[in-house]
Amino acid sequence: MENQCPTLSDIVANDQFIRDLTVRYVLLSAIAVVAGNSLAAADPPRETAAEIDRLFQAAWDREEVTPAGAAGDAEYFRRLYLDLAGRIPAVSEVRDFLADESTDKRSRVVDRLIDSPAFVRHFTTALRNAFIPQANSQPQFRALIPGFEAWLWQHISEGRPYDQIVRDIITTELNASAGPALLSTTSPDAFFVVRELKPENLASGTARAFLGVRLDCAQCHDHPFDRWSQEQFWNMAAFYAGFTRPADEDADNPAMMQNLTEKTDVRSISIPGTQDVVPAVFLTGLEPEWSDDSRTPRQMLADWVVDPRNPYFAKMAVNRLWAQFFGQGIVDPVDDFSENNPASHPQVLGLLAQEFVSSGFDVTHIVKVITATDVYQLSGLQTHVSQKESSHFARATLRGLTPEQFFDSVAEAVGYYQPYRSDNPFVVDMNSPRARFLDLFRNNVESPLERETTILQALAMMNGNFIDNATSVDDSQTLRAIAEFPAMSNEQKLETLFLSALSRRPSADEQRRFGEYLSSGGAAANANAALADVFWALLNSSEFMLNH
Amino acid sequence: MKRPINRRDFAGYTGLSLLGASASGWLPDIAAQVDQSATKKHRNCILLWMSGGPSQMETFDPKEGHENGGPTKSIDTSVPGLRISENLPQTAQVMDHLAVIRSMSTKEGDHSRATYFMHTGYLPQGPIRYPTVGSFLSKELLDKDCDLPAFVSVNPFQAFSPAAYGPGFLGPAWSPLVVASRMTGDVAESQQVSFEVSNLKRSERVTPAQSDARLQLLTSLEHNFLKHRPGGPGRSHVQSYQQAIRMMESGAVDAFNLDGEDDILRDAYGRNPFGQGCLLARRLIETGVSFVEVNLSNADGAGGGAGWDTHQDNFEAVSSLCGVLDPAWATLIDDLQQRGLLDDTLVVWMGEFGRTPKINDNTGRDHWPKSWSAVLAGAGIKTGQAHGSTSDDGMEVTNDPMTVQNLMATVCKALNVDHEATNYSNVGRPIPLSDHGSEPAQPLLS
Repeated sequence: MENQCPTLSDIVANDQFIRDLTVRYVLLSAIAVVAGNSLAAADPPRETAAEIDRLFQAAWDREEVTPAGAAGDAEYFRRLYLDLAGRIPAVSEVRDFLADESTDKRSRVVDRLIDSPAFVRHFTTALRNAFIPQANSQPQFRALIPGFEAWLWQHISEGRPYDQIVRDIITTELNASAGPALLSTTSPDAFFVVRELKPENLASGTARAFLGVRLDCAQCHDHPFDRWSQEQFWNMAAFYAGFTRPADEDADNPAMMQNLTEKTDVRSISIPGTQDVVPAVFLTGLEPEWSDDSRTPRQMLADWVVDPRNPYFAKMAVNRLWAQFFGQGIVDPVDDFSENNPASHPQVLGLLAQEFVSSGFDVTHIVKVITATDVYQLSGLQTHVSQKESSHFARATLRGLTPEQFFDSVAEAVGYYQPYRSDNPFVVDMNSPRARFLDLFRNNVESPLERETTILQALAMMNGNFIDNATSVDDSQTLRAIAEFPAMSNEQKLETLFLSALSRRPSADEQRRFGEYLSSGGAAANANAALADVFWALLNSSEFMLNH
Repeated sequence: MKRPINRRDFAGYTGLSLLGASASGWLPDIAAQVDQSATKKHRNCILLWMSGGPSQMETFDPKEGHENGGPTKSIDTSVPGLRISENLPQTAQVMDHLAVIRSMSTKEGDHSRATYFMHTGYLPQGPIRYPTVGSFLSKELLDKDCDLPAFVSVNPFQAFSPAAYGPGFLGPAWSPLVVASRMTGDVAESQQVSFEVSNLKRSERVTPAQSDARLQLLTSLEHNFLKHRPGGPGRSHVQSYQQAIRMMESGAVDAFNLDGEDDILRDAYGRNPFGQGCLLARRLIETGVSFVEVNLSNADGAGGGAGWDTHQDNFEAVSSLCGVLDPAWATLIDDLQQRGLLDDTLVVWMGEFGRTPKINDNTGRDHWPKSWSAVLAGAGIKTGQAHGSTSDDGMEVTNDPMTVQNLMATVCKALNVDHEATNYSNVGRPIPLSDHGSEPAQPLLS
């Protein structure tokens, strides 16, 4: 890109523009899609990756696990795109990658993707889901998503380290006068709004989102399975005790934020229903040193949360990153660090956390380590029954896509141009196909390994308007390009369809069976209809609709 | 760590082998249906869920004369000596078909946890993902001949606890088909409530032969891909497609179309999403669906929000919610009775907890799990009675306290389901339908 210092919307627009081009010239693989602008061409942290692989090999030996074979280039490439760019690759990108014969092509594509706007966008969505999950499950908070994502985008694209992002959230100056305007403000305030500014919700939210500790039960009683006491819970809540909140009934109304005030000298809180007043104390029992009065309770809390010595912070962050690439954390669920939920590979977690700290909380460093491991580059094809247990990480497990990954992949496959609002790319038109897909594919299951396809989703994919158009030669960019490109053999057409949807070439068997279908004209005795039938089947397959 | 092949895996492979067949394998086998038509009849269940937690004082346990009772009056019912709130006059007329439990005592006053507790019979704890009641009961009550999913959920409000509405460790085959209501027609004139499963019809561009061919192509892709890639998402994908295709090919989906119903009956249910949802529930039960959950959480009858969460202006709010609830519920009982369905259909009415007997400063009532009411009707229930009671001030259960676990056991028993039957959980441990140690409440059972 020529622009030295692109603005936010420039980046989005360019990304869209380039992807649109990719779609139009889907067959002209020679086009260079993304101009590499990476300065950070440092060698990938292969040593750490190799150490992780040694630890896994030792664990597999111990557990008598035979790992799956290595993933081929196409399998790896599709997975990597979904995990880093949040969508499947374009046909031309697959062709280029498969044709590339250099030995370092896998690490080069990692570097290229990490520098792309798509990575920033995908990572923004992931962090937003982790930090304000309420915005997904509770419709009244959905309007907060654009402001929060815009803020995250800015931080991530500027390369701010993870600890600074978290610190900035915890200590943000809440925009007391904003009121309804808050909704379109680029700020992390949503973290506070979805927790209704209640000290107890903020305490459990902080513990869960940043430390992977579930304190929720300790709010009312000593935690039945863990070591957290009710007092410890309220000790944490005391750091957020300074807010004077609007009346309860308005608390979940973001517009009510405008009456907010905060006293920064409040350092204790009373436990409801008791006479007890407890001071602000960190979860580990460490007492804050208030010697310097210029630090507010929230600043003190942030200091402790992101401290490299905090036993949870770095581990939680790398564990969540790990889960983004495997569908499962080393501690799983990812936000449930407790004695009853031990890590499957504690040494790997420890090593990654150490790397994270020593890199200055650089997310991209950890991403490079993880994607460089052989474990990440295993095939999904099960070759031994011992690979079945997903916590062995001995095979790439089937994972559900997030609604965003899914729609962006559908759009890529069918050549749908996604319009963005020019004034704010994060605000989505609620009637757009994307918004409707996100709504339909929003799911209740946290773990991608347990993601379900619902009957309504199946019906929408089989019969819905969007896919119907996408599989019609009249309305689909991809199909029309394939159908109307002169002098292309059925074999080439079939290959392009497979590359569009599944990011791989058809097997010999598929080439034969699907090829016969195309050349016979299919059930409707019409060449275009036969193409549509094949494309329909590809888009409805679990291979397309899942990550693997 | 080696694990034996369990039933879930087996189900997964069975699903795949079905897919391996030609497209006709996707279609219901009509011949088999006829053969099995004489199989034994299972009972069914309708859950009327009151999201937010309805006030017992303004429904089934009025405290007229005590300051905790507020202005709410009580009225006679069709059962001599049993009085309920004036908010439910039509329900009072079918009281002989209901059994009120006035002694619910459940110890969980948080919306999210209580919603999970009342829906699963278990508190959320540890890694075990307990299935919602509609999932585990529809698995027991399944009518194999029915072309619709065994569990349908109408207008659910899932925000309090998404996990409370899912199949948990039973897996995706037992997920509910979620149906939302839609308002159609002129706002000023006569708005109609309709229920429609979207995208049931194949595109007009596609011929039936093409459609079969597409499924054949899809089947071969699925077979190749999933053969050596076990796991939940793939299994779920195949099962949902199978169920969706079965529905597409079946006339059973007519159950969702209320147009053929008598206008007078539709009026009687109430022309709102909840009223028409109750009518839909009856039609689904007639079609062979085993479990239907209908949610009421808003005075307009739609599913959104938590209207029963009456922290303020409790009396007005409950009265208007009852204006939707009362005709729908009473008509449902009548309708089931007249069609001979009530003997085989258990109707459960409950929310996640009750409300504080003491009225707060906002003329509201807060969360109260200690002493509140739920109602059972129909199949297997000894009706026309109040089970358990509370003190004059409503603050204490005075006899026959009912736990969530025992309520679940009672529901199972009323449906002729063994409450001690177990399912294998995601942590490999057998989990009984209602928790260890639970017992059905015999006085409630016929």
